[in-house]
Amino acid sequence: MMSSPILRTANGIIFPLTLLFAFYMALKGHNFPGGGFIGGLIAAVALMLFRMSHGRDAMTRLMPIHPRVIVAAGLAIATLTGLFPMIYGPFFSVEQEAMPMLRSFAPYVNLGVGEPVHMPSALFFDLGVLLVVIGVSVGMIVRLGEEIAPDEEEVAQA
Amino acid sequence: MVMIAVFAPVTLGLATLWLPREWIERRMAVAVAGPALAFVLLLSIAVGASDHLGAGKDAHHGDTATAFGSEHLTTGTLNWMPSLNINFAFLTDGLGLFFALLVSGVGVCIFLYARGYFGREGPTSADDLYRFYPTIGFFTTAMLGVVLADYTILTLLFWEMTSISSFLLIGWDRYDKKAVKLAMQAFFTTGLGGMGLFGGVLVFGNATGNIVEGGIWRWSQMLEHSEALQTALLNITNNPQLMWAFVLMFIGAGTKSAQFPFHYWLPGAMAAPTPVSAFLHSATMVKAGVFLVGRLFPVFAALPLFPQLIIPFGAATMLYGGVVALQQHDLKRIFAYTTVSQLGLLMAMYGLGAIDFEFVKDGKTLTAAAIDFDVTQIANHAFYKAPLFIAAGAIGHVLSRDITQLNGAFYKHKAICGTMMAAALGLAAVPGTISFQAKELFLYAVMHAAKVSPWLWIVMGMTIITAVCNVAICVRVWTTLLGLKGGMSEADAPEAHHDHHHEHPHEHGLLANLIWFPGAAIVSLQFLGGLFPGAFWGPIFGGFEQTAATGNYFYKGVPNLWYILTHAFESLPFWISMFCLVAGFFVGRSRLGRGAVKDFADHIYPVMYWLSVTGGGRCFRVVQTGNLKHYLLFVLGAMLLGFGWAVQLDISNGGGMLDAVSIEAARFFEYWPGILIGFIACLTAVLIPTTDSRIVRVVFLGATGFAVVALYLVYQAPDLALTQLMFEIISVILFVIVLRLLPKEKRGRDAGKLWRVPIAVAVGLAFGWMTLVAASNNRGNGAFADDGVTPLVEPSNPHAEPLGVTLAQHSYGLKTDEFGNTKLETAMSEGPDGVSERGGGGTNIVNVILVDFRGFDTLGEICVLGLAAMGVWSMLPHRRRKSDPKREVETDYPQDAIEPPLDDLGQGVTA
Amino acid sequence: MTMVLAICVAVTFAVSIYLMLGRELKGVAMGVFLLGHAANLSIIAMSGSPVQTDAQQQTAEHAGVHLTSVDSPEMKDPPILTNQYANEQPLAQMVDPLPQALILTAIVIGFGVMAFLLTLLVVTNRKARTIEVSDLAEEAREA
Repeated sequence: MMSSPILRTANGIIFPLTLLFAFYMALKGHNFPGGGFIGGLIAAVALMLFRMSHGRDAMTRLMPIHPRVIVAAGLAIATLTGLFPMIYGPFFSVEQEAMPMLRSFAPYVNLGVGEPVHMPSALFFDLGVLLVVIGVSVGMIVRLGEEIAPDEEEVAQA
Repeated sequence: MVMIAVFAPVTLGLATLWLPREWIERRMAVAVAGPALAFVLLLSIAVGASDHLGAGKDAHHGDTATAFGSEHLTTGTLNWMPSLNINFAFLTDGLGLFFALLVSGVGVCIFLYARGYFGREGPTSADDLYRFYPTIGFFTTAMLGVVLADYTILTLLFWEMTSISSFLLIGWDRYDKKAVKLAMQAFFTTGLGGMGLFGGVLVFGNATGNIVEGGIWRWSQMLEHSEALQTALLNITNNPQLMWAFVLMFIGAGTKSAQFPFHYWLPGAMAAPTPVSAFLHSATMVKAGVFLVGRLFPVFAALPLFPQLIIPFGAATMLYGGVVALQQHDLKRIFAYTTVSQLGLLMAMYGLGAIDFEFVKDGKTLTAAAIDFDVTQIANHAFYKAPLFIAAGAIGHVLSRDITQLNGAFYKHKAICGTMMAAALGLAAVPGTISFQAKELFLYAVMHAAKVSPWLWIVMGMTIITAVCNVAICVRVWTTLLGLKGGMSEADAPEAHHDHHHEHPHEHGLLANLIWFPGAAIVSLQFLGGLFPGAFWGPIFGGFEQTAATGNYFYKGVPNLWYILTHAFESLPFWISMFCLVAGFFVGRSRLGRGAVKDFADHIYPVMYWLSVTGGGRCFRVVQTGNLKHYLLFVLGAMLLGFGWAVQLDISNGGGMLDAVSIEAARFFEYWPGILIGFIACLTAVLIPTTDSRIVRVVFLGATGFAVVALYLVYQAPDLALTQLMFEIISVILFVIVLRLLPKEKRGRDAGKLWRVPIAVAVGLAFGWMTLVAASNNRGNGAFADDGVTPLVEPSNPHAEPLGVTLAQHSYGLKTDEFGNTKLETAMSEGPDGVSERGGGGTNIVNVILVDFRGFDTLGEICVLGLAAMGVWSMLPHRRRKSDPKREVETDYPQDAIEPPLDDLGQGVTA
Repeated sequence: MTMVLAICVAVTFAVSIYLMLGRELKGVAMGVFLLGHAANLSIIAMSGSPVQTDAQQQTAEHAGVHLTSVDSPEMKDPPILTNQYANEQPLAQMVDPLPQALILTAIVIGFGVMAFLLTLLVVTNRKARTIEVSDLAEEAREA
């Protein structure tokens, strides 16, 4: 894929903003339009744009791990969030019984400064979803893109 | 405790896998501990139960129908799938316990015998035993499960497990193609029956919904409600389902218990090692069908079909097995056919019992005499057939299994032949064995039933012929082994080939006796019970004298001689037995049936196999063309047919669909931006196939997608619109990449486009119509339904909220105001007290549904996503770049382990 | 609005079937892609028209909701709870969120399936050297 200096420069500003926006979307998903899927897809689009403008090596430096690690991490986070209500009662609390898997709860967490923060467990679940979606879409598209021109970098630099 | 007993054999059997192969004896000890433990545990339960019964003996007069009384004790339930009525619970009533004791008791002997059979010095002995104990342990557990399970489906589950273990054991020699084929034959046949049982259990459960809430899914439940069930069965025309339930279950029982014409698998199953034949295919597994009929008997005997179905099949099997057995040369085949015969007799016994079955009176089941005897018969059969097999396997080991080769074998191998000869006495039902009592009881039962229905005298005749054959076999075994005149010799088998004689290294030492001793131990029970019936059966039955039905004929289990002499007709069974012994002796000495014959039923399975496999394969080739077009046309055609049927149904019902559609059509112009967006979506979609350029196609595809985004916005779905937007961007990138990897279209070959148009239009119209009808139906719901349209399907609660709103209600408390409108109960107060009952507390209901109400679904979804990505990565493994070593250091992703073949790469890359 | 959507569903379905019956797997992939759109649209049609009917508007007026204009159609609200619902607005003003949740799942799954399908296409092309449906069928028959 060709990369143009204009795209590269513009993306220098757009890329972090888009990632930020994606994260914002994922966070506010519980109460407003948004959520893990949307956030993940936005982030994936941002990463794709970065890949197009900066090329493969820059992408590798940005994401030095295989996307499958991200997918695995996302799945792990989502699963653990789901399992937490099941083990919370029997192991950490005397009066509470085991709750069904994925039952969400919204504790107010005292961070030490300011007012307690409303932190629904769904947030973590959505975070897992976000990671999975990023890993899957980036991984698949980057992989397929490499099939087109395995050695494009040499061509571009030559 | 029952649970431990049931699972001990398989657990300990598997445990032997951890012991070194060379420790044959130690492994045997561990494995034997399994059935032994089960036996001890079950015995303790049985003793406890009979004590319990003894205390209330007076209340249970005439109640010895099943060995330990009909008291049924169920053990505590371990929930497995409560919603499907499948749980671990065991029913330890008399019938079940009796069978379980038999299984575990014979099991101990067989486990010991296996050590003797496989030997120590043989080339594969250690390997065989290594494999054998886990498998046979698995079977023992399965069999115990069948006879003890309380839930019907659980019984079925164990039932199939016995089929599987039988399959594994018949095909023991994995390199012997014939054995594998025979194993398949047995598996298919019993599997067919298993399906019948499954169907029967399901039909039974559903058909009894009017007797017990939710239907009967437990045997104990069935026994509890026997009175109601019998009433239903007597009026079978009102409950035809119950009859079909019985017929289906009988198919299961009949195939498992090798009833004619499905008996062919049992002689075939003799390809298994002899311990297996003795255990599975004579003593226990084949009795599972008999057990099932016994289980059903207290209730289903009321069904007029019960004796009508069971007696003919049972009697035919009995006669056929007996006659064919006489004409075999292979000892194992002889005994297999006598087993078939015996199984027919056991089945017939239950049928006879049903003839003069008395129904429940005062809450107690009064069963007929025949049933009492069946238990005797089952035990008796196990006590002589297992030793016969054990001895046959032993003699086959040292000499040959062909009876014509064994003339005078007694003088070489006294212990083995002695065991076999003693057991053969049981086969012949010589006085002094349990077998004799059992045969007497059977004849008595036939006679008793024949008084009610005279046609049963035919069965009496068949029994006599069978008995004569059995005696003749016994006579031939004796004369042959002793080398007497009239024994079988090589002259009887002119075309016999003597190639299957394996010379086994002869083993010495104490453990070598294991090849015959277990058989001798079992057969000794035969005589113990035969000579001291009172002492033997007493603890089990509480004495025969309790059984009122036997009248004066028996005294403590022994035919009362004085009574016999004074009542000529009543004591007919005794005279028949005597006649059979004499006639059998002469038949045995005669030349009758000396040449080996083939069983014509052996052709049934090959024909069935050909029909199903070859015929099925041909049908398959017609249907499976491999052409995507044909599959699609099949699917679409079926869909259109279904759609046409639905429309036709609707028109004949007054055309509610048309009303709904016309109302929607009137609302077409309600929102003009929507029409515009819809038009764009349609236009771009239609334009896709008009061009041949793939890039233009992708552009149109993307444009359609963006129009869909706009439609989502119109439908007030911001989440969807956002997701779809991003999805669209990524998909277009994906398409562009992939299309570059694929070859360009070859122009000028796309003829025959036009036939696709009518199909596509028809399918499109059908789906559009369905959408319209389904969507207009929604307005029948509560707050959405205020436009006066009658919905096609009347909602059960006209004021019900749509499900989504109900979910919101759960997320936040809602209330209904004076106008009937739903509102939120509480304000969105921020703070610890404002947290909803549900706990999630999000305001974006779509998201709340995704992460909470359907959170599990979402979890599954991201798993699927991960799987799809894994699929992509594995289909396109990463290439190592060898050209530039410097690059390898900062290589982008970890290298994949699997290198694709090089010639697959680089093809089709059109960059 | 439901009518409009039904027409869109009909057209997209027809086009997708037309493409899927085509000669090449490329067209089939596009057909599957469009089929996803069509199915999603038909599901969202189940939530009913987002435009309020006269009757619904009247109920809303009862409840004291101020209508901006009688001529322009009043749309329902997206399924996001606000304080308004607690105070004056009836919940019927909201579209049904359930179909939306279902479709959201469907879109994302559709993405995964799509990528998988396209990769299959690439691999098929490499192994079989063709993506013509009839050629592939012949190959399958020979195998």
